Amino acid sequence: MADELQRSALVAKLTRPVAGLMATTYRWVDERLGVTDLVHQLLYEAVPKRGAWAYSLGSATLILIVLQITTGMFLLWTYVPSTTEAWQSLNFIEYHDEFAAIVRGMHLWGAYVLFVVIGMHMVRTFVSGSYKKPRELNWIIGVVLFLLVLGLGITGAMLPWDQAAYWTATVVTHVVSYLPIFGTQVQEILRGGPQMGPATLTRFFAIHIWLLPALLVPMIGLHLILLRRHGEHGSWVNYEGVEEETEAERAKRMANAEAPYPALPSDPGYAVPMDLDEFFPSQVFKDAVVSFGLVLLIFVMAVVIGAPLERAANPAALNYVPTPEWFFLPLDQLLVQFPQAWMIPVGVFIIPGIGTTLLMLVPFLDRTPGRQPWRRPEVMVPALFVVLFLVFEALLAVNRLFNL
Amino acid sequence: MSIAQKRISRRKFMILAINAAGAGAGLLIAAPIVGSILSPIFYKSKYPWVMVADIQHVPVGVPTAYVVMVDQGGDSWQVPKVPRTVYVVKLNLINQVQLIALSNVCTHMQCDVHWDINLNVFFCPCHGGEYSMDGTNIAGPPPQPLFRYQHKLVGNTLFIRNVLVGGS
Amino acid sequence: MPLIASTTPQLTQVPISTGMATALVALLMLAHVQFAAWQQGGYIILAVSDFMGWKRKSANYDRFSKGLVTALGATFAIGGSLAIFAVMILFLGLWGHFYVDLQKVLFWPFVGEAAAFVGEIICLYPLYARWDRLGHVRGLRVGLELLLFINASLQMLLINVVASYMLTPRPAFNLPAILLNPTEIPLEIHRFVGNIAWAGAVIALVAGIRLLLRSGRRPELRPYLDWMGHYGLIYAIGFTIAQPLVGWEYAKEIQLHAYASWYDMMLGGLSVAFLFQVFLLGSIFTVGIFYLWRRVRASGFRSPALAVCTVLSFGAWLLISTPSSLAWSYESVFAANANVPIWQGGLLIPWGAMIPWKLTALVAFTGVTIVALTIYLKYASRGKLRWGDAGRGQAFSLIAVGISVSLIMALMGFIRESSRGPFLITNQMLINQQQNFSPPSATGPALNGPASNAGVSIILPTELHP
Ligand code: HEM
Ligand code: HEM
Ligand code: FES
Repeated sequence: MADELQRSALVAKLTRPVAGLMATTYRWVDERLGVTDLVHQLLYEAVPKRGAWAYSLGSATLILIVLQITTGMFLLWTYVPSTTEAWQSLNFIEYHDEFAAIVRGMHLWGAYVLFVVIGMHMVRTFVSGSYKKPRELNWIIGVVLFLLVLGLGITGAMLPWDQAAYWTATVVTHVVSYLPIFGTQVQEILRGGPQMGPATLTRFFAIHIWLLPALLVPMIGLHLILLRRHGEHGSWVNYEGVEEETEAERAKRMANAEAPYPALPSDPGYAVPMDLDEFFPSQVFKDAVVSFGLVLLIFVMAVVIGAPLERAANPAALNYVPTPEWFFLPLDQLLVQFPQAWMIPVGVFIIPGIGTTLLMLVPFLDRTPGRQPWRRPEVMVPALFVVLFLVFEALLAVNRLFNL
Repeated sequence: MSIAQKRISRRKFMILAINAAGAGAGLLIAAPIVGSILSPIFYKSKYPWVMVADIQHVPVGVPTAYVVMVDQGGDSWQVPKVPRTVYVVKLNLINQVQLIALSNVCTHMQCDVHWDINLNVFFCPCHGGEYSMDGTNIAGPPPQPLFRYQHKLVGNTLFIRNVLVGGS
Repeated sequence: MPLIASTTPQLTQVPISTGMATALVALLMLAHVQFAAWQQGGYIILAVSDFMGWKRKSANYDRFSKGLVTALGATFAIGGSLAIFAVMILFLGLWGHFYVDLQKVLFWPFVGEAAAFVGEIICLYPLYARWDRLGHVRGLRVGLELLLFINASLQMLLINVVASYMLTPRPAFNLPAILLNPTEIPLEIHRFVGNIAWAGAVIALVAGIRLLLRSGRRPELRPYLDWMGHYGLIYAIGFTIAQPLVGWEYAKEIQLHAYASWYDMMLGGLSVAFLFQVFLLGSIFTVGIFYLWRRVRASGFRSPALAVCTVLSFGAWLLISTPSSLAWSYESVFAANANVPIWQGGLLIPWGAMIPWKLTALVAFTGVTIVALTIYLKYASRGKLRWGDAGRGQAFSLIAVGISVSLIMALMGFIRESSRGPFLITNQMLINQQQNFSPPSATGPALNGPASNAGVSIILPTELHP
């Protein structure tokens, strides 16, 4: 009954600005497509009330990926995936097509901001213990999403086929040759031959614009479906006092839960946040503010700084110093630290591999009862060391490259 | 009874057929794709000799860089030749002078190394690998000495081809 | 580029031999470094403890923070006067030339340093004098502590610029290059984590000693002292985890940019000191993990995993303490022409080699300690460790870790300062009379040392004349 009322109020709202014929047309379409129901489903959800600004990072990530896909599609209007013409087509953009240059700048800065924001989203869900029962699988999907986005970043960096791109591609495709047994073969498959060549670029182009996005988009869908299934967990501020709660109080809270809560199975007391708010407009407002700020930042950076284009790839240049993209600095530093034949795979496969595996297994390794970070030292302390490790590696890499 | 049984087995048959059709179609699509992915492994490469320089111009004990267009191998439809730097080195050994043509591709992650006149080593800017004049890896991450191009001398003219042999 | 002497004012030298002056300066600086490091590390531990006491409403944390702030106030007074004394009397009086030259290159870092000193007093004094009253606004107090830490970190950053510049100088009057000279960031990280570990070790040391001496007389203190030792030790070994990584990188940068110093440290006369240093590092990890294992046992839990960690760490300790040769240094092995393994009549011990064995041991320490710490924290955070259970063994372990950290700090200072010898600033100024000096060559003489002569290859004649 309440649902019906809400629904007709929504119909009235959606048709308010348009009178007469337009309203009739809307109703006609709505009866056949169910637009109102869809909007209703998407917008009218309960979300936790406190700490909501921190929960806007997920939708900011989403918006940035949409931005990447959109700008990427329109870069394809000019970009030619060929070793002889890729650089020339982008060089043309830089000097003769100001708007396309901004699009290109937004694609690059969008990627940079995306890495920061997805990292923050990850840290935020980690610190608030959002991966705990029943959201374990959503965390794992998140890790896969993270790896896909990293893959998009590195394959994208190869596409301009300038010096930076060429050497990034060389190093990345040579790393795999240290795989045991099949190393050389995998390298030849990725390069399309024993050495870097035209086939290398077409391969990574296909991976960047088709293969990885085709995996990314459905995975995001799954991430969001699961999010809707369990409801937003929020963080410890939404569950203050659950330990002191009596059975009766808890039962009452569960019984009064709005959809999609209660999230089950979950630890006692954590199925429903203490205070709920509306997703629309409360949460969406915050999401909109944050996303707008980020898009504005990206736009400004694209206009002011833009995307650099170095000289065209030249395998024989002697005075060029290759530097990796900043988000790959920690991995590059590992290459420095693990010298000589048999230790190299330790640095490039074993350590990052163990790290990724542990990251995926976090929901199963963390058996702490509470949600507050200071009551979970056995996960927060090792995580702090991992973060410190990455930061230190990046700083050391900056230092090394600056002083070459 | 018998009709119901028959229906069920019919049902089972259809389910089986759906699975088989799906698997078959998937296989038909996947087989050529996998083949095309793997094809680079089976490419045959030919590497012709290319001229580098007159070795009389190469001083003893000073690695000298020449850029030559070498065949890059594999099966590409364009730019079959790429510029590569060859370091021609005359090593001053105890009682003879020896000539080698070093590839300047770092054996670590294949960046370009260059002869650093201050440090007196081949230096790789990527991760700080260092090689001595004859290509021996002496510091940093490189796992092997620099590779050498196969070379031949016709009179005083040096020819190489893009076939690398292990150094030292 | 040599620093210009002509514009340096003529300073009267105090009538004291250069050797004595050097020893005095060195002693004073070592003492000063230990104070300053404790100060910086102590501030962040203070902020964290106060925050935890606030959020977890724990009496141990509250009591500890109050004790710590008193101690920090007292040590600041001593350490600060030591610093002023060092600058005023020793540097200006004994090493005037050096100080004035350094001042010219590093003017702004020094100004920042002095300003940060004032900031430190402004933040620390209210905490020290009005601790309980500030407790009414707990957030403010924690904020002030954080500010104190940030301030001390800035101070450390600036002085690290000076210290790293002396080892790997860059062209004078190019400020970005000076600020980001090759060893600045490695030194910065190295000291940043090192200071926190050192402060933790001091806390563990104090708790260990008090456990041994006091608890007989005042048994009611036992639970608190036991907790304090555990708390300090977590910082001590936790932050040492980062050291193998950073130290490795630090050495690499020195190798690339100050080869002579690196050669001295790794292959030359200082290599014995270096060996002792990695021995101490192994001792911190191994004794620390041993403590974790036995402390859990003292409260009645058997943890085979922690026992395995202790054994692994012990193995890595043995590996890393193995000298690479039977001689005093690799230099002398090379001079004796005996660089083959001992069983072939030489002097080398192959598994004492840096790559891959010492590197493997370093990686092992890092991994094992993270695992051990995680397991231990699990016991601690579930309230399974009854405070007061610790025995004499744990007290001795705490003391051993504390002493090891203290020794390693002094030793590292010694290694870094003497590796530059005979220079005070690499290639630019000699210690001896601090005169100006033009660099003999860009990289120093040792580059053509033994390493690069190895492996001259013979090419087959067929390859030459096909
Ligand atoms: C393509 C990248 C991603 C997108 C578009 C995305 C999107 C979202 C959105 C919109 C939310 C809900 C709002 C919020 O809590 O911030 C969310 C929640 C969540 N995300 Fe992501 N995410 C991405 C990557 C990741 C990654 C890398 C992880 C972790 C490894 C992750 C783990 C989670 C978890 C555990 C939640 C549940 C949070 C809760 O219920 O409190 N996501 N995600
Ligand atoms: C999460 C998604 C994505 C990320 C993180 C990403 C990242 C990047 C990066 C870092 C570059 C290099 C830019 C430069 O160095 O100038 C790049 C280039 C490119 N990307 Fe993407 N990208 C994404 C999605 C897409 C999609 C979906 C498309 C196509 C539909 C696309 C098309 C392109 C093209 C054509 C280029 C080459 C043009 C250029 O270098 O400016 N990207 N991408
Ligand atoms: S690529 Fe040359 S050292 Fe890594």
